Amino acid sequence: MRFAGQIFEPLPSGGLYWHAQDTLLVADLHFEKMASFARRGQMLPPYDTAMTLSRLEGDLRRTGARRLIALGDSFHRADSSRLVTPGDRMRLDTITEMVDCIWLTGNHDPAPHDMGGTSQPELTIGDITLTHEPRRGAKGLICGHLHPAAHIEMDGRSVRRPCFVHDSRLMILPAYGASTGSINILSPAFTGLLHLPSLEVTMLGKDRTYPVSPRRLVLS
Amino acid sequence: MTTTLPPVITDWFARKGWAPRQHQLDVLASWQAGASALLIAPTGAGKTLAGFLPTLVDLADGSHEGLHTLYISPLKALAVDVQRNLNTPILEMGLKITAETRTGDTPASKRARQRAKPPHILLTTPEQLCLLISHPQAELFFGSLKRIVLDELHALVTSKRGELLSLAIARIAKLAPDLQITALSATVARPDLLAEWIAAPLPQRTTQLLTASGGAPPVLSILESSERVPWAGHSANYAHRDLYEAIKQHRTTLLFVNTRSQAEMLFQGLWAINDDMLPIALHHGSLSVEQRRKVESAMVAGALKAVVCTSTLDLGIDWGDVDLVVQVGAPKGSSRMLQRIGRANHRLDEPSKAMLVPSNRFEVLECEAALEAVAESHQDSEDPVSGGYDVLAQHVLGMACAAPFAADDLYDEIRHAWPYRDLPRSQFDRVLDFVATGGYALKAYERYAKLKRTEDGLWRVTNPQVVQQYRLNIGTIIEEPMVRVRLIRQRGLKKGQSQSPVGAGGRVLGEMEEYFFGTLLVGDTFMFGGEIVAFEGMRDNEAFVSRAQSSNPKIPSYMGGKFPLSTYLAERVRRIMDTPEDWSRLPDQVSEWLRLQAEVSLVPQRDSLLVETFPRGTQNYLVCYPFEGRLAHQTLGMLLTRRLERARARPLGFVASEYALAIWGLGDLSALIKTGRLSLDELFSQDMLGDDLEDWLDESALMKRTFRNCAIIAGLIERRHPGKEKSGRQITMSSDLIYDVLYQHEPDHILIQATRRDAARGLLDIARLGDMLARIRNHIVHKRLSRISPLAVPVMLDIGKEPIFGEARESAMADAADELMREALGG
Repeated sequence: MRFAGQIFEPLPSGGLYWHAQDTLLVADLHFEKMASFARRGQMLPPYDTAMTLSRLEGDLRRTGARRLIALGDSFHRADSSRLVTPGDRMRLDTITEMVDCIWLTGNHDPAPHDMGGTSQPELTIGDITLTHEPRRGAKGLICGHLHPAAHIEMDGRSVRRPCFVHDSRLMILPAYGASTGSINILSPAFTGLLHLPSLEVTMLGKDRTYPVSPRRLVLS
Repeated sequence: MTTTLPPVITDWFARKGWAPRQHQLDVLASWQAGASALLIAPTGAGKTLAGFLPTLVDLADGSHEGLHTLYISPLKALAVDVQRNLNTPILEMGLKITAETRTGDTPASKRARQRAKPPHILLTTPEQLCLLISHPQAELFFGSLKRIVLDELHALVTSKRGELLSLAIARIAKLAPDLQITALSATVARPDLLAEWIAAPLPQRTTQLLTASGGAPPVLSILESSERVPWAGHSANYAHRDLYEAIKQHRTTLLFVNTRSQAEMLFQGLWAINDDMLPIALHHGSLSVEQRRKVESAMVAGALKAVVCTSTLDLGIDWGDVDLVVQVGAPKGSSRMLQRIGRANHRLDEPSKAMLVPSNRFEVLECEAALEAVAESHQDSEDPVSGGYDVLAQHVLGMACAAPFAADDLYDEIRHAWPYRDLPRSQFDRVLDFVATGGYALKAYERYAKLKRTEDGLWRVTNPQVVQQYRLNIGTIIEEPMVRVRLIRQRGLKKGQSQSPVGAGGRVLGEMEEYFFGTLLVGDTFMFGGEIVAFEGMRDNEAFVSRAQSSNPKIPSYMGGKFPLSTYLAERVRRIMDTPEDWSRLPDQVSEWLRLQAEVSLVPQRDSLLVETFPRGTQNYLVCYPFEGRLAHQTLGMLLTRRLERARARPLGFVASEYALAIWGLGDLSALIKTGRLSLDELFSQDMLGDDLEDWLDESALMKRTFRNCAIIAGLIERRHPGKEKSGRQITMSSDLIYDVLYQHEPDHILIQATRRDAARGLLDIARLGDMLARIRNHIVHKRLSRISPLAVPVMLDIGKEPIFGEARESAMADAADELMREALGG
């Protein structure tokens, strides 16, 4: 996948691998989202963090990336990092020791977390800027925040999956966390952000990703 | 057995010129003998008086203090109606007995007063009962109780409401030492199980099974129309003229249909030809309560000539003057049919008169089967179900709200509820754990525990919010999110035109599932409440519509309300098909259809499965005829398409009807089978219920919907409360995601177990599919055809009308990606 003069590899997990930089980009991990409901008396299963970690470990292993950049909303709440179970914490520490980790801040986690790696609001590498929220007019911006999904129809079959979506200036990554929902890219939340004629959509499949024609998109 | 009636009651009977009926005396006798009783009686047999006679006798001397009799009905309206019917004799006998209802409509002040000073007789619903027993003063309230009267028990015991009710009764049995139970039920297949159900909480008492003598056998016929019966569809348009004539010739006609959309269509159809302006009304679950009450009272007053209705009128209220019951569309089951017929002519000595109106050709066969079954009075009602863990979790929390409990005691009590009689202790402990902390053995969750075990070994609620949360989420009925539909004046917008904000106001027509409006554009017309209306816009929780004219309004497709064909009737339909000698009894157009099928293909036989394959247009079709109901066929369709995909037959979609399943795709199925690359025996082999089922359940939307209901009942996620979403006070987590996480990490979690249990008999009907696969094993008959067979026509016509299932298929993305590649290469 080409974007802003660079070559990226979209992964079926929702991660984006940047070969030239040996870097894995992920957005919206939302660690400990399910556990955050317990304080309100909803005892949701706490396994989402472990599921997200497994995805992350798998992608790091397969790509051999030396750097991990999380584009914000890595934890569901500002104080969530204290909730992480000892087992999950060990896995997280292994990751931060193994690769260079940069945690960009997001609206769910505006302050740095107590863990390995560094934290900052935004990062620019060459012509590419990485941040949490999309904004109009920027060039070479890669972000998350919106949790994009595509719904397509094909010969009477239909399928809705998280997706990568970009035009020539802006790329929005799908949410990576196991507990994250998604929003149809045709819905008002995306209005005005992307230039429709140059829209490219890549959907997440089981073992591969699928670039699909925007003509097939439907609003569900 | 001798029964004694106090003079005040015998005098009343004498004044009326009546005598107590035998079964009413039987109920009294069993009560006086200290036993519980199950009375099986048809509607109109004087069941109310039978149920309450012991209460009137016992309360006649005016010495009883506090609550004496608790009456439980599945319907609020029925409780209100019974109270009315009960107050008449109480007044006429001059007895000092108080009888009050307690429903969701009862004002808070009256509820509080009822708790402090209960009436002698309280008439209520299972949900209200759960609220009462979860109250800290329940022990005092129920201590004086001597009788529970359960009405329409047959309708309760097959659902989760019945499970919840059984648990509540097990608790009351502990609180009220003198308790005896009287249950009233329509005729069912297994009355012995119902008797066990009411005996379970009171093991020290005997339970008597009483039967009211049946009246004259019903007179039942199938509509003989000179019109052509259509191949497919459910509208029965062809019969409207005949039905209208029948309505004219009778005093009052009840016309039953199976779904709300059929009700709307039939109602429209009858009014279109209502030249005499006969008062014909409509009654179904989406109409506003006021509108339904209006129809009901007009009915009682004898002001209506006919009512088109759904199962909302299956139970309860005595109509009196109905002299014809019409079933439009397939009857689905023999017991269901018998109960509906029983709505006619509530005088036992006169026969009930009923007419079946098939809406398509397969339904002709089904009606024929029902005719035979009714003639033999064969019952195929569902048996009471054993208990689910979701319902149990709700009850455990409720009991903690009432008072701190010891786990041993509660476990013992719960096993006195019939659905939970075999509950293993280990499962009870898991449910308790789940209620307390989610059961994940996690420190972070302990901090927010709902229940804690204190030093005295008792489980206690940790804070008052838990009690509040429990009360808001009580019950087992999960409703689809609904919006109110208001009628306003037309604003003259064109179809698809963007809208200016609609104003408030307008008469409320009723409520409708929210998702339906997601499929509408402004200006689209649809049928609602017997009128054709145009969609004008939405605001908050309300949809605005205006009166409109249209020749093809959309038909709202309602979820649910579709009962599958009973196993018993299905077996009879197969037998009729397999007995060509009997075809002469069928209408000519139907027997001709079967003969034609026999010529060009085969007629399905009783113990095998016919599979036809043929090409049509650019696609290839596989049609099979299991006759196991739409739900089981949908599940079969899902699993077969997975397998065909693996066999590279490139399936595209399928459609399921009550009788048949059609799958289509790009691969040449006939050739694949002929060359041995595809084996039908393997395709239909039972092992599809192994790994394929597991893989599919992992992502099945139906499974997720089932899970959502279980999770709400068990209190894992909260119900949506109207108004609260807006203020943002209610943050919800998608139940689909919770399911994904739980299914992968704890596949034997009690809620996944509960979901599987529901799926097996509910939306996925896996149980029935399993039985079918076993039956047809090595009995598959393949017919390769050059074109569509006569029998395949109905299901093929459903394509495009019924939902087709191509949901969430990876292959759709793969094809879309190929398409993009071709585009890029300039193809």
